[in-house]
Amino acid sequence: MTEEEKRILKARALALAREPVVQVTEALIDVVEFSLATERYGFETHYVQEVVPFKELTPVPCTPPFFTGIVNVRGRMIALMDLKTYFDLPANGLHDLHKVIILHSAEMDLGILADDVGGVRRVPVSQLQASLPTLSRIGQEYLRGVTGDRLVVLDAARILGDPKIIVQEEVAT
Amino acid sequence: MNGRDDEFLKTLLTAFRGEAAEHLQDISAGLLELERSPAPEVVERVYREAHSLKGAARAVSQAGVESLCQALESIFAAWKRQEWQPSPASFDTLHRATDLIQHLVETPDGIEPDRVAQRVAEIETLRSASPPPGATEKTGGTGEPVLPAAPASDTIRVATRKLDGLILQAEEMLAVKLAATQRAGDLRELQSQFAEQLRAAAPDPHHLRVLEAKLKKLSRSAEHDSHTIGRMVDDLLDGSKKLLMLPCATFLNGLPKLVRDLCRDQSKEADLVVRGGEVEIDKRILEEMKDPLIHLVRNCIDHGVETPEERTRQGKPARATITASVTQVDGNKVEIIVSDDGAGIAAGNIKAAAIKHGLVSAAEARQLDEPAALSLMFLSGVSTAPIITEISGRGLGLAIVREKSEKLGGRVSVQTQPGHGTTFRILLPLTLATFRGTLVQTAGQTFVLPAANVERTGRVRGADIKTVESNETIALDGRAVALVRLANALELPATPAPEDEPVWLTFVVVTAGEKRIALGVEAVLGVQEVLVKPLSRPLVRVRNIAGATVLGSGTAVLILNVADLLQSAANVRPVAKSAPALAVERKALLVVEDSITSRMLLKNILESAGYRVRTAVDGLDALSLLKTEPFDGVVSDVEMPRLNGFGLTDRIRADRKLAELPVVLVTALGSQEDRERGVDVGANAYIVKSSFDQSNLLEALRRLV
Repeated sequence: MTEEEKRILKARALALAREPVVQVTEALIDVVEFSLATERYGFETHYVQEVVPFKELTPVPCTPPFFTGIVNVRGRMIALMDLKTYFDLPANGLHDLHKVIILHSAEMDLGILADDVGGVRRVPVSQLQASLPTLSRIGQEYLRGVTGDRLVVLDAARILGDPKIIVQEEVAT
Repeated sequence: MNGRDDEFLKTLLTAFRGEAAEHLQDISAGLLELERSPAPEVVERVYREAHSLKGAARAVSQAGVESLCQALESIFAAWKRQEWQPSPASFDTLHRATDLIQHLVETPDGIEPDRVAQRVAEIETLRSASPPPGATEKTGGTGEPVLPAAPASDTIRVATRKLDGLILQAEEMLAVKLAATQRAGDLRELQSQFAEQLRAAAPDPHHLRVLEAKLKKLSRSAEHDSHTIGRMVDDLLDGSKKLLMLPCATFLNGLPKLVRDLCRDQSKEADLVVRGGEVEIDKRILEEMKDPLIHLVRNCIDHGVETPEERTRQGKPARATITASVTQVDGNKVEIIVSDDGAGIAAGNIKAAAIKHGLVSAAEARQLDEPAALSLMFLSGVSTAPIITEISGRGLGLAIVREKSEKLGGRVSVQTQPGHGTTFRILLPLTLATFRGTLVQTAGQTFVLPAANVERTGRVRGADIKTVESNETIALDGRAVALVRLANALELPATPAPEDEPVWLTFVVVTAGEKRIALGVEAVLGVQEVLVKPLSRPLVRVRNIAGATVLGSGTAVLILNVADLLQSAANVRPVAKSAPALAVERKALLVVEDSITSRMLLKNILESAGYRVRTAVDGLDALSLLKTEPFDGVVSDVEMPRLNGFGLTDRIRADRKLAELPVVLVTALGSQEDRERGVDVGANAYIVKSSFDQSNLLEALRRLV
């Protein structure tokens, strides 16, 4: 084998050994966008069963304040939760709650109050910022991430699996 | 026997024939199976079936069937204990016996008693002919036998009321059919018009706009259809499910006769008190629970109730009382209680019986506390009866009771007090059950009280409410009854405030167990049938709330848990009489807001600030209220249907009587123009929601009102 041949083979070997540049398909999640007062939030569509108009509310006494009450959705009694109260968000102003987002998991169905529900949008997971230092309670527990344009994607699974929202009480004796 | 009893007996016999057929079928199938290969669990099964059939026969005085079953049961029991092994020929005898039972069931009077006696004797000979096998291996005997599910009977009685409702719902479906045809037609037309446009050289923009408008209208209609159809289909489904709900009376009614006959045979005396016949339960659950209930009642008489002489000696009434009741608890459960005031059960005897049958060792038994010892009685084979009577004492009944209850997802518990009686409780979960409910109103909200817990309703003069140890009481039939405001027990803000309380207070007397209390409410709205919907996770169990129901109007209302309420009432702190000196003249405000949450929030804020608040859902609603009641001020949203906040203000200013009324607009419209418009129409203050802060509104109101 001549030097020339060696050189060519070496060059070929190096060319073959180079890692191919693969086009990585980006992980995307579908998010249902909704607004509470002036802020925008989102849940992954996977957990959203349906969105219904907020009509008749039946408040339930002896439940924590973040439970607004129950609503009758085609014969099912769905517990309604107000995220503002639950997250201890400052109640900056009145807002018009007009929609109920019904979250669903194997454990429960839960209604979430929303001012307005926008469309579904596709968010690349890589764009989700894990947290912001200033976020308090949501930041620690219920945040999926924040997008560049300040859409707060909440972790529906965490909320639905949160033992703190389970009401199981007897009357004190 | 009078005509009604005759009629009743006939009904019972018909039911018995159906039931017997099921049991016989299972016994025959079991015997055939055993002939091929003997298996302990199959022996257990035929044993139980014979036992159940015997009980059913007893209830309708079919002595022949009863004694044949008794004979079968004895031999199956010996087989189970491995004291007897069948020869191939003995199966023929057993089959002949079941055939005879079949005949007896079908033609009760057509067979001479001799033939029954003959078959019984044959079975007894079988037993003595076969010596017990030498080395008997001890099998558990109980294991986890699975009873085959009884095939459901073919027919069911349905109240015409339910059918009428269902037919109406089905007829509504015609509208769906028509609408679908209409939509399909509209779509076809649209499609052809669209195709025409495509074919045209240059599409006409005007035509396209028309098409778009049509398309919009069509899509709106389709959306509307989908809502309506969704509701109709759900209603129809619900209605169909309700067809399977039967009143418990269908299975409670057979008990009095059973008790009477058993007592007569055993020279005992007992009255049966039956409660809750009106509670409706799913037919499938009723069917499964029939046998357990019969077993429990039989147990009461056999083991619980003493002879009249014995009772008299103990200073009890000679006639014992047996209670069988069905009640709705916690919204989605039904509790069946069978209790007697007899001798009770001594835990020691149960332990002894369990040891004797080798179910626990003596050492294990010593470790057991009382509840654990009592639970032993639910094991197959444990009986404390010193002798085996023809009815019970074989220690099988309670095993069946537990098995059936658990199969339905329920549980059985027992409480006993030697000398005073025994209570068996079966708690069964139900997805659906209806009962009568009393609708009451308190704190502006409607609630349902189970009518079974409501003793009476009435009203009392405020002056007749007297305090005892600073707790309010009212006098009823010469007795003092504690009075608690329902709103207080439910931790709701009371409306109206004490100082505006009307001269008369409406109250509802509720009872649960021995406890009794009067609940003060704003109004009693009526009594109606309600279908219980349980609350579900996350609301697993809410204090004082048993479930919810949907009224005819589609509104959900909560069903209260009376047992909880009685407990809560005890916790309510005495209401300090508000000192009238402190009660400043409260100003009346009208809140006008179409969003329910905002409305509630505003009402809450203003009430906490000491205002009396009425609410209206839009401008027109507000105007009509303003015309009928005096107000000191109006707080209104701007964007509302029918008549908005600007319009409302305009109309108020134009009205001579109302012209001076302060109006505060609370709105999301924050632009300069909107502010100016607000001022133009004559609003006294204009508060923008996004910058909304309670203190702004309250400050404005303090200045204006």
